[in-house]
Amino acid sequence: MGADNPKGLTDRLLGGTDALINWSRKYSLWPMFFGLSCCFVEEATALTARYDMARFGAEVLRPSPRQADLLIISGTVFKKIAPVVLRLYEQMAEPKWVISMGSCSNCGGMYDVYSVVQGIDQILPVDVYIPGCPPRPEAVLQGLVMLQKKIETESPTRSIFHFEGGTQGSVKPILVDGQTKSRDPRGPGMEGTAIRGTSVVAPEFLDSRSDLMWTPPPRQIELNPSDQNLAQVLSARFGDAVQTTSPTSDMLTFQVAESRLKDVLHYLKTEATPKYQRLDDLTAIDESARRQPDNFPDYTMVYHLLSFDSASRVRLKVPLHHQDPTTSSITDIWPSANWYEREVFDLMGIHFEGHPNLRRIIMPPDWEGHPLRKSHPGRATEMAPYTRKEAEKLQPLDGGVYVKSAHGEQPLILNIGPHHVGTHGLLRYIAALNGEKITGLELEIGYHHRAVDKIGERQTWHQFIPYLARVDYLAGAANDLPYLLAVENLAGIKVPERAQVIRVMLSELFRLSNHLVWFATYAHDVGAMTPNFYTFREREMILDIVELITGGRLHPSWFRIGGLAADLPEGWKQAVDEFIKIFPQRLQEYENLLRKNPIFKARTRGVGRISLQDAMDWGVTGPNLRSCGLEWDLRKKMPYSGYENFEFEVPTATGGDCYARYLVRVEEMRQSIRIIEQAANNMPSGRYITDDYRYVIPKREDMLKDIESLIHHFINVTRGPRIPRGEAYASCEIPRGEQGYYVVSDGLGYAYRVRIRAPGFANVQVMPLMAVGESIADLIAIIGSVDYILPDIDR
Amino acid sequence: MQPIVSSGVLSPWEPGIFSLAIYVILILIFVASQLFIAVWLGVRKRTVEKLRPYESGIIPTGAARLRYPVPFYLVAIFFLIFDVEGAFIFAWAIAYGELGWSGWMQISFFIVLLLLGLSYIWRKGGFDWGPTTQKD
Repeated sequence: MGADNPKGLTDRLLGGTDALINWSRKYSLWPMFFGLSCCFVEEATALTARYDMARFGAEVLRPSPRQADLLIISGTVFKKIAPVVLRLYEQMAEPKWVISMGSCSNCGGMYDVYSVVQGIDQILPVDVYIPGCPPRPEAVLQGLVMLQKKIETESPTRSIFHFEGGTQGSVKPILVDGQTKSRDPRGPGMEGTAIRGTSVVAPEFLDSRSDLMWTPPPRQIELNPSDQNLAQVLSARFGDAVQTTSPTSDMLTFQVAESRLKDVLHYLKTEATPKYQRLDDLTAIDESARRQPDNFPDYTMVYHLLSFDSASRVRLKVPLHHQDPTTSSITDIWPSANWYEREVFDLMGIHFEGHPNLRRIIMPPDWEGHPLRKSHPGRATEMAPYTRKEAEKLQPLDGGVYVKSAHGEQPLILNIGPHHVGTHGLLRYIAALNGEKITGLELEIGYHHRAVDKIGERQTWHQFIPYLARVDYLAGAANDLPYLLAVENLAGIKVPERAQVIRVMLSELFRLSNHLVWFATYAHDVGAMTPNFYTFREREMILDIVELITGGRLHPSWFRIGGLAADLPEGWKQAVDEFIKIFPQRLQEYENLLRKNPIFKARTRGVGRISLQDAMDWGVTGPNLRSCGLEWDLRKKMPYSGYENFEFEVPTATGGDCYARYLVRVEEMRQSIRIIEQAANNMPSGRYITDDYRYVIPKREDMLKDIESLIHHFINVTRGPRIPRGEAYASCEIPRGEQGYYVVSDGLGYAYRVRIRAPGFANVQVMPLMAVGESIADLIAIIGSVDYILPDIDR
Repeated sequence: MQPIVSSGVLSPWEPGIFSLAIYVILILIFVASQLFIAVWLGVRKRTVEKLRPYESGIIPTGAARLRYPVPFYLVAIFFLIFDVEGAFIFAWAIAYGELGWSGWMQISFFIVLLLLGLSYIWRKGGFDWGPTTQKD
């Protein structure tokens, strides 16, 4: 029969070879080491002991595209990183496959915002989509198995032997918006209807129903004698140029005339009692969409200063009048203002006179407009789709633009990142090298800009909560706290004691979880593979507890304004106790692996030093600050959420080098477990959410039984609670440092402006101080020791 | 195992130029076939991006050929010098019985001279490497 039908014979022969080739290929896939955001943490977890992706024949992530044939797009695809993704894909070995992991990569997910591509399939062919935000590690395995099934259906032999009609690798077409795909978050067929909520977004604000609701005025605080004294001194010294705002909801606030701003700041930093040594935050508000425009200037600059001596803050507000205003740069007072002012310039379009290097920092160099202005579109779906053509054209700037060579020397310019195993995320270092020595270092950030600030202006106060944990995806629930504290401060919401203690317990669990990941990756950075395999075991235990309590893993979104989403479930105590019992001993084991290791010491001691003065001047916070010898921890110095009731120490170290940063973090883990133990053993009884339902989402049983609660539930879930007009700033000691939220309300169901003071932004800005003069290998150790995370730097 | 004594059991070939030639030809055929299979079966896509050097996803700046700093050159030279001189010592070590005491004296003188040179380089900082030595 075969002789009668030669075609059938060929087919059968080829079919056999196909099966053999496909079998070999599907069990030896080589994924590339390329993570975009949160999803990558779960992808990496899939490699660790519990999930063990090696069982499926894809065990080692390849650092270079040349060695990889599987690209897992794990996370949010930003417009700034898309050209890099495309290049990496092109540089991969043939044949190659693409898995799109997570909602962001699939369709933009919850980030329908100007900086995010609404689906990688607009740029690359996609074989398998993994849903989830983020998908669990098991889902990654499932995705891999699905890809293996897809590979089984290919007929590669014909392609390999140059016959017609073979298939291998990704052959799906790239999708085109409006033709083969719809970017509409509600699915196709809704093109004629505006997306819900757009009509209430600036600048329209048509008949907001929040106006019909009455709410009490914002919380008012009594100024303490020291603040009153400072207010008097400033007003005597600067006259009308400085006016004390009264009342305020959180801290001493001044309205300062632009002309005297620098004098006032200089005075506050160097002469005032107490001295405000640190520029905590610097940002701006576009006032053009205010609902009572007569009361406001065009823009307001906002400066938050912090005093280490008196553990207090002060806020300065500077009105600016012009369409494209200009103000003076304060980089000569605080060097850390450099990046902050660049960010304001980039996102708000405010110019700073005397700034040494005023150019875009977050957005791509060719971006048009200033996204945080109220006139700039917020959603990506309001803008033209981002296509492959743009990804080919809009390239990151050449490294030579960043590095200034002195004396006509031609240094070797090396790009480390945005795709690099050692950069721990999408950050680009541009190093000028003389041999192995780093002679110049520039950082290019903004590859992970998810525009959380802008989203905060359109999601209601409650709807914004899921975005919080994603600002620092390794610190989970710990992120939620500063935002909630700020809103609760502003509206004067009292949180029950039980909720406070649970919040503390979860925050500390996430501190441990974060530090365990840091421990593993840092050790890995300096050449120790082993801790990686172990610390993820305890991290999984923590995530199991988190899952038991909240139902989520990385992003629980479980804290609520006024309390929590639910009470602790049955069995939580047992799980926590079990963890408390084993953890200290395990930590000791891991410590022994590193602290007694001569290679580890040689790689970290005396490397990447920063002096205490520099650290304070540049706004370095968290373990990085404490490793310079300053005992400064917000949990102790400006306690919140009941931290004053816990016994713990604030570990410090001296030297400010990589080793000191290591010591501080490890000791912090021991203190965290103490706090968790105290919280678990002394868990107060009572409500988990406040009983004043004006602003909060009521308990479900109340909502079902009580009409008053039902009304509050309906209002607060749909249009959002009407938080009184005003502003508040709250800052917490999250694992990476001090994360502050500055929220401004215009009396609507959502914020007028949300600003995140991220620890990473300041901690990373000092990188050149630590790394210039060191060898290129030490840069990796320094990066690991600083422990930053990209969504928190770029927000 | 018993040693094979009968000479007729194995190949009657005498080792010679002929077998070497066969061997070379077989090797050439093997290598050529491997290269051909790789060229013929491998998927080749010569796009601009594919041919561009990989540098963390960014287009590299400048050429790969640049003036490299002197220490790299020094290390290479030191290696060469001490490596080549090792060859003299090995040569002496093989024949040390025949060379006797005079050979021993000569090589000792040679080694001492090398050690002097080594310490000189060391003190001059020839082995100082990179930025690590410039720190306090």
